[in-house]
Amino acid sequence: MLKMEHIAKVFRTDTVATHALRDFSLHVKAGEFVSVTGPSGAGKTTFLNIAGLLEPFDGGSYQLDGISVHGLSDSQRSKLRNEKIGFIFQGFNLIPDLNIFDNVDVPLRYRGFGRAERKRRIEDALAKVGLSARAKHLPSQLSGGQQQRAAIARALAGEPAFLLADEPTGNLDTTMARQVMELLEQINSQGTTIVMVTHDPELARRAQRNIQIVDGEVADLTLRQAV
Amino acid sequence: MFAYYMHLAWRSVKRTPVISSLMILTLAVGVAVSMTMVTLQHVMSNNGLAEQNNRIYALQLNSASTGPASSTNTLKNGLPYLLSYRTAMALLDSNIPEHQIAMHRWAAAVSLQDNRVKPSKEVIRVTTKDFFALFGVPFIYGKVWDKQADYDAQYQVVLDRPTNERLFNGENSVGRSIQLNGKPYQIVGIVEEFAPQPSVQDLSQGAFGGNAGIYLPFGLHRALSMMPYGTMSCSITGDNIQFPTDPVEQYNFILQNRCFWLQYWAELPTAQSKTAFVDYVTGYYEEQRKNDFFEREFKYALSTPSEWLELNGVVSNDTRVMTWMALTFLVVCIINSIALLLAKLLRQSSEAGVRRALGASRSAIFSQNLLESGLIGILGGVLGIGFSQLGLGFVRMLVSRDEAQVVYSDAYTIAITVLLALLASMLAGCYPAWRISKTSPAQSLKSQ
Ligand SMILES: Nc1ncnc2c1ncn2[C@@H]1O[C@H](COP(=O)(O)OP(=O)(O)OP(=O)(O)O)[C@@H](O)[C@H]1O
Ligand SMILES: [Mg+2]
Repeated sequence: MLKMEHIAKVFRTDTVATHALRDFSLHVKAGEFVSVTGPSGAGKTTFLNIAGLLEPFDGGSYQLDGISVHGLSDSQRSKLRNEKIGFIFQGFNLIPDLNIFDNVDVPLRYRGFGRAERKRRIEDALAKVGLSARAKHLPSQLSGGQQQRAAIARALAGEPAFLLADEPTGNLDTTMARQVMELLEQINSQGTTIVMVTHDPELARRAQRNIQIVDGEVADLTLRQAV
Repeated sequence: MFAYYMHLAWRSVKRTPVISSLMILTLAVGVAVSMTMVTLQHVMSNNGLAEQNNRIYALQLNSASTGPASSTNTLKNGLPYLLSYRTAMALLDSNIPEHQIAMHRWAAAVSLQDNRVKPSKEVIRVTTKDFFALFGVPFIYGKVWDKQADYDAQYQVVLDRPTNERLFNGENSVGRSIQLNGKPYQIVGIVEEFAPQPSVQDLSQGAFGGNAGIYLPFGLHRALSMMPYGTMSCSITGDNIQFPTDPVEQYNFILQNRCFWLQYWAELPTAQSKTAFVDYVTGYYEEQRKNDFFEREFKYALSTPSEWLELNGVVSNDTRVMTWMALTFLVVCIINSIALLLAKLLRQSSEAGVRRALGASRSAIFSQNLLESGLIGILGGVLGIGFSQLGLGFVRMLVSRDEAQVVYSDAYTIAITVLLALLASMLAGCYPAWRISKTSPAQSLKSQ
């Protein structure tokens, strides 16, 4: 599903070069649920952004679902992202003045689905996260947990094979966090590959596999090779 | 996708009403100011005789005397803009032009015998009969006077449609008569209105003063001792000049001397006819130079209607300069809008980041934001039309009544207005849209 080999990522400013990822290699198989932990600044978000084709990388190779992403044009990468990847963020990142229905609609618009198809998918996705009744609400009218579920619905609506979550529970209290985790597990059980960054050791343990990033590298070699 | 972007654009405009209104207003004002000026220039440079542009020519001759030249009666090319009666009569003898006319403006009190209408002073065109053929003015009823009426006094008249409507309710009035200064004139024909704006055929009384609704034959001059309702300048030098005291002789003196008061047009459809006519004019000039009627060296100008407008300075440099200034003002407005748009769109950059994460390509983000600028542009354009109507209304208050009649925008200028606003806003929107589409999504997501 995801195959990164010797990925390097350097952020350069005028004065300093930060090696956010160095010699980063990771394989994730289809259907896996991988949790990613590590200290702050270790490169977790950087890794997710590269995995999600939001950010270019400086060295190494990356294959997503068998496709080498190196050298793809922006529109090809956007298409790939739109079809194969769902994003969930710590801050939910719902578009504030679109209601939940229209928020979930966004990726489907770029997918080019017809009106009926979009409506069906939006309703399915909202039903899956238990928000059917809230479709016409604005994000600000929902609780944090509900907002994150709406964001998950938006990530799911395009039926991506691959879900990338960056601290999806970081802004939620424990009960809500647990609910979201259960939802993710349920989604994973239906075949979606999930990579989730988290600071919560308990949640990390619930994943099938945990990898730790330290200083831009996968720290636990034994885990990395246990695939 | 277009409808979706349009929907998003409208939502975004509503979300930031103040900044959006400011942009719309800025564009509207810029567009309105430049459109007012463009309309003005468009009106002034309008050539109502454009179709005859390569057929008909206004004639000028270097006929001033060698005394201190009076610049008021010459055009940019240094030649007087009017001809003398003596010259006109000699040129009318030529049969080279397909049609040719000598004419001037006159005025008289117009009334009917039965006093049905209130007498009024009207502008009249006194012309040889080819006027209607040369300028392509069609007859509705009757026909033009006979050739003889161009030489002998025949009290005949041709009316245009509006005049006929006013005096005779538009009936076929041929055979009836009207009174000019109390004297009856028989109506021989009714023509369509001929009132080009500007009045290319006669610009001697300003850009719009040359049109008339009543036409009299040229042969009436001596009988009425007609003087132009307009300009006449005499340039008479010499030692033994005696201005006659007897009125008839006096008038004869004017007709036979260097008094300039006639417009002269010739229809010369081919290059050969033009050359032949120039030869004819040259011959006449040289002959008259021998007997000192012309004192200067031979010079002439044959100007097409558009050259004639240019030569008469109808589109003045003032108008042109003002138009450029207005367009510069528009550029300033566009730059202002760029700043406002940039501020507005960059505030939306985190939304753009989310959209990118959800699969929008750079070009999709670019299009969406450009379309938003386009929407603002259309709104600015529509408002700009309103403003420019106000602006033109203001201009109408400033200019003379004749000019005011024509200072209206037509479909052409309105279309240009909207297009201009659209173009302006798209131009203004390009850079901000490009900027926002170039921002790294990872970056804008982080900043949320
Ligand atoms: N745009 C950037 N420019 C410069 N340096 C950056 C940029 N983005 C990230 N970095 C640096 O790269 C390193 C990895 O950052 P990253 O955001 O991946 O950390 P993280 O593991 O997600 O941390 P956290 O747990 O706090 O979210 C950090 O040292 C960070 O300062
Ligand atoms: Mg992070």
